[in-house]
Amino acid sequence: MLRHARFLARTVLVKDGNVDAAAKVVNRLLSADGIFDTWRRTRFYEKPYQMRRRINYQKCKAVYDEDMSRKIQFVLRKNRKDPFPGCY
Amino acid sequence: MIPKLFSCSLAKVCAPSILNLSICRVGNSLGGANCTHLCQVSAVFSRSLHFSSPRSKEKDRKYYVQTSLPRDEGTDGEKTTGIDRAHRRKDIFPDENTPNLIFDGLKFKDLPILNIRVSKNNTILSLADAKGAVKLLRSCGMEGFKNARKGTNIAAQAAAITIGKKSLDMGVTSVRINVQGLGPGRLASIKGLEMTGLNIVSITDSTRCSENPPRPRKQRKI
Repeated sequence: MLRHARFLARTVLVKDGNVDAAAKVVNRLLSADGIFDTWRRTRFYEKPYQMRRRINYQKCKAVYDEDMSRKIQFVLRKNRKDPFPGCY
Repeated sequence: MIPKLFSCSLAKVCAPSILNLSICRVGNSLGGANCTHLCQVSAVFSRSLHFSSPRSKEKDRKYYVQTSLPRDEGTDGEKTTGIDRAHRRKDIFPDENTPNLIFDGLKFKDLPILNIRVSKNNTILSLADAKGAVKLLRSCGMEGFKNARKGTNIAAQAAAITIGKKSLDMGVTSVRINVQGLGPGRLASIKGLEMTGLNIVSITDSTRCSENPPRPRKQRKI
């Protein structure tokens, strides 16, 4: 049996007959929480060397993504006093 | 002949733009107080004329950005946590009163349950009462789809339409949906049930998921 309360946890009520939107909310929240990822990963046994490699890769990717997003934010920033310094 | 024509057309195309440019230049070169005065007038005019909401909204945003504190450039997630916007909506999530809410003359906790078991190769739908006793069962294989065709969204939709119609014939009009698993039939079966006119009250996910499950089978060798 599932340990969480059924029809209370992981449940979205349908409002105004908008079933599609409710289904999308369920899917979005589950994927945001990483439940789908965990489910996909645990279908087959992951050998210790594979787990080590995956976690190292994720660490590196997180560092790279953070730096890259900051760089992109820096390049794309718009709220500056002189929007194009050095140009007329 | 061809180059001549080409140059001709180019000249025609270019002429207005050059004219515009020259006019601009003249206007600029006039300069001095006269020009600035003109500019000021136009600015005043634009302010007095463009009082529509988009413009004022833009100004508000600029003011907000200028006066707000500078953005913290610490580590991402150090001080803030990414929260999905759906959490702000209180009405779509159940609370302690939800089991006793009345839907279609029945309490939420007494509504029939439509279990959908989705897998990569098949979709099985079963209608059960609130205690879990199965009344109807329908799968993609029972619909006549065999082998690889069972694991398609079309098969799932067909099975969902069949079970939806049968449950309506039985007198079941409102159901809670309980989805288990991931696969091509996950959204398609919900869509099929919606198409039959069945009143879907809620959608629940009960995919069994653990970070450290008992050892799964060995990996596929492809």
